[in-house]
Amino acid sequence: MRRLAAIAAVAVIATATGTACSGVGGSEAGVYTTIDGAKQIDATAPINPFNPQGNTFLGYDAMSLAWPKNDPVDPNLFYPGIAQSWTTTPDQSEVVIHLQPNAKWSDGKPVTSQDVKTSIGLAYTQGGTAYAVDPKAAGAAADVVVVDAHTVKVTQGANKSNTFLRNVLSTIVVPAHVFGSLLPADFWTQLKLARGNGPAAEKAKATITGLAQKVISFAPAKDVSAGPFVLERVNPGEALLVKNKHFWASDKIAPTRVKVLNYTGNQQIWNYLIAGRLDSAPFTAVPSGVLNRIRQTDGNEVVKGFSPVAVSMAFNQTKAPYDNVHVRKALAYLIDRSQVTKVASPEGGTPSQTTTGIHAESAKSWLGDGINSLDQYHHDPAKAAQELKAAGMKLVNGTWTMPDGSPWVVELHVPASFSDWVAAAKAITSQLNDHGIQASVLTSADYTLYLDELAAGKYDVGLWLMALGPAPYNIYQRIYGSANGWQLLAGNLTHVPPGTQGNWMGGPQTLNGIDPGTLTNQLNAADPARQKQIVGTLAEVTNQNLPVIQLYDYVNTQFVNNSRFTGWPPNDSDVLRLSAGVWMQLGLIKETGAR
Amino acid sequence: MTVVEGMPATVTLRRNFWRGVGRVMRRKPSRMVGVGIVVLFVFMGIFGPLLYPDPLPRDDNALYASPSWAHPFGTDFEGTDVLALVVTGTRYVLLAGLTTAVITVALGTAIGLLAGFHRGRWDTVLMRLTDLQLTIPGLPLLLVLSTVWKFTSPVEMGVVLGLLGWGGIARAVRSQSLSLRERGFIEAAKGLGLSTRHIIGRELLPSMAPYIAMNMLIAVTGAIYAQVGLFFLGVLPFDANNWGVMLNLSVFGGGALSSTAALPYLLAPLLAILLLTLGIVLVVDAMDEIFNPRLREE
Repeated sequence: MRRLAAIAAVAVIATATGTACSGVGGSEAGVYTTIDGAKQIDATAPINPFNPQGNTFLGYDAMSLAWPKNDPVDPNLFYPGIAQSWTTTPDQSEVVIHLQPNAKWSDGKPVTSQDVKTSIGLAYTQGGTAYAVDPKAAGAAADVVVVDAHTVKVTQGANKSNTFLRNVLSTIVVPAHVFGSLLPADFWTQLKLARGNGPAAEKAKATITGLAQKVISFAPAKDVSAGPFVLERVNPGEALLVKNKHFWASDKIAPTRVKVLNYTGNQQIWNYLIAGRLDSAPFTAVPSGVLNRIRQTDGNEVVKGFSPVAVSMAFNQTKAPYDNVHVRKALAYLIDRSQVTKVASPEGGTPSQTTTGIHAESAKSWLGDGINSLDQYHHDPAKAAQELKAAGMKLVNGTWTMPDGSPWVVELHVPASFSDWVAAAKAITSQLNDHGIQASVLTSADYTLYLDELAAGKYDVGLWLMALGPAPYNIYQRIYGSANGWQLLAGNLTHVPPGTQGNWMGGPQTLNGIDPGTLTNQLNAADPARQKQIVGTLAEVTNQNLPVIQLYDYVNTQFVNNSRFTGWPPNDSDVLRLSAGVWMQLGLIKETGAR
Repeated sequence: MTVVEGMPATVTLRRNFWRGVGRVMRRKPSRMVGVGIVVLFVFMGIFGPLLYPDPLPRDDNALYASPSWAHPFGTDFEGTDVLALVVTGTRYVLLAGLTTAVITVALGTAIGLLAGFHRGRWDTVLMRLTDLQLTIPGLPLLLVLSTVWKFTSPVEMGVVLGLLGWGGIARAVRSQSLSLRERGFIEAAKGLGLSTRHIIGRELLPSMAPYIAMNMLIAVTGAIYAQVGLFFLGVLPFDANNWGVMLNLSVFGGGALSSTAALPYLLAPLLAILLLTLGIVLVVDAMDEIFNPRLREE
């Protein structure tokens, strides 16, 4: 389960990939039952979208200005949310948002521009790309202006980013009459001050960042939602949401209630699905045997789509022999990615064609046929042996050793809770052992500890999530970002030495005369043509230098049940990357027999 | 008990003892089964890894294969024979169990004997130490320890489990010591001016040896549960043929509790744990009768 939670959380947070949901509980008519793929239910958490454990559910009672389609290539495509429409200048220096004219909160008050401005103010307390207090930060907003009751204009600062529109439209909107008291009356004056220099600015910055915890822990007495549902109650087993009669498109919403069931692990989700309790479920890792069992349940159906996530084997290049590209290439030739995928994620993954840094679906658009001209790293033990010899490694009695004859053991680290990663790691080590490379799997108790130890440089080799699109900057930031030494602070990109400040990958600053971190950073501001050029270069550099070996690309495997509701998104639909609450807003879900 | 005797008497005693053992074993055939099971697992622990090639063969076309003659318990996620995994995994389980038992019994017995025999300050200090040990929550501590210590060898695992498990035996041995020290033969030994080491080692300890031996075997089962449980929780290093890892992967990776595909993969290590525990319990049952004078005389 944690695998699901972590993958889903990363996908949702980093790429705004949606989950799925739905379901009718038992025989209750009009009740849609689902789970929240991003988090488990904590009944003690506040009804507050700024709280990571908060009891609000995206697409149901938590609403953003718009819903990102997560198009494989264009990150700036959205479905309307609280914003009915929006316009932007070509360089995204200015975004004008037009709110839904009939939007109302569940207490009957209208949704206004002031709600949006307050929500943006609250977002500043939490930090973030569009709402960074530092005016030099790439893509930071410079000003928020209420044009009229239903129009807001947000302008971008001098350090432009082409993800500004996306970040602004992802703003979660909360009611000013509930959350507004969290901001001091002079908040916007303080924000202006904080953007300056000197002691007054520092003091103002401290005031704003000091509000973060207050905002996170704020617990409204009841849910006030502008979404299609409003939270009625929550207990450790489930959250119950009822239809919001004030929702501007309530005629599109078929369910009268939504039950969000809690879970402790993937296994519990499998059991819900086998029992036919869920009307829909977001991406969940499922072994083949269980998938077949789920399919046998009346009404259950599997829907698959694109998920901008891939998994790779990443190297700590400060540790020998992984500092040698020949060794990394040898491992790439030895690992049979198809076999690894077959063992680890037969239903939820496809073997990576080669290492580009990009998910295969995105690569089609970004690289076209160019991907075929890259080294494919097909399974080839002979080539692997050549590479190992080129690296000076020695074959002694059928076992490869370090150049000085000392033993070489590949210790592949994975978090124990990611069952598909554990299986993948075992498959990889088995393959390497078959070819005379001593290899073993080492597990960490949980994902948080795993990331901490990875960042501390304690591992030689570990599995790593990558290709977190759709924005190309986000994709390559996983390889040429802070984990590899490039740090972007106040719009200033620096490269820190390996082994410091989270630089655990420890790769060189330039590869074949190219600074991949700088190129990645340029993706933020480049126009589409230049982006394509940069992505091509980065894909080639990544393919030739292999800071990671791309193993398999995830498939967004979701589940729906036709017994109580129908009208599901088809395979490969972009809405599969959004919550089922958004499907309802788009008018997709109907009660069975109602059409 | 062990007052110095002539050699012929000792030989006779031993012969009588083994006759008694034979009689006890024959009385209940289940005890022979128990011995057989324990011998089988010891054999698997010593020779198991030699029976199979290293690494174990895999079959990509038979992932989670159903039980067959070739694979009596099916195959795992990599197409490896599950029975082979259980057999080759026995060594770790037994070694960790034995290490745990030895440490538990050695520490518990030494501390219990010293505290019970000396009483006074020794008793106070050692029993407070024992109380302290008993209050340490074993599982949470192990979970924390696992984040900094990888327990790569069964001996490391056994040492830690042993250090966390001696308190109960120390308490029980102390109680027995308190009772025995008032008996006539101990008083006589004290009256003869024999050393404390002699009294504890040659007078007290032999009287409690059967009890300690039985506790040692029971400690093995406890250690097996503890280590398998930790591996099942996924907090210890991955080793494909570890029984706890097999349980973990069958449930969380293979969905053994939700579908039948990975069920044999789950049942095989479970059955191994069950059989080993059963064998130990049956042997302890036999030991109880062998060492219990009343039962022996029947």
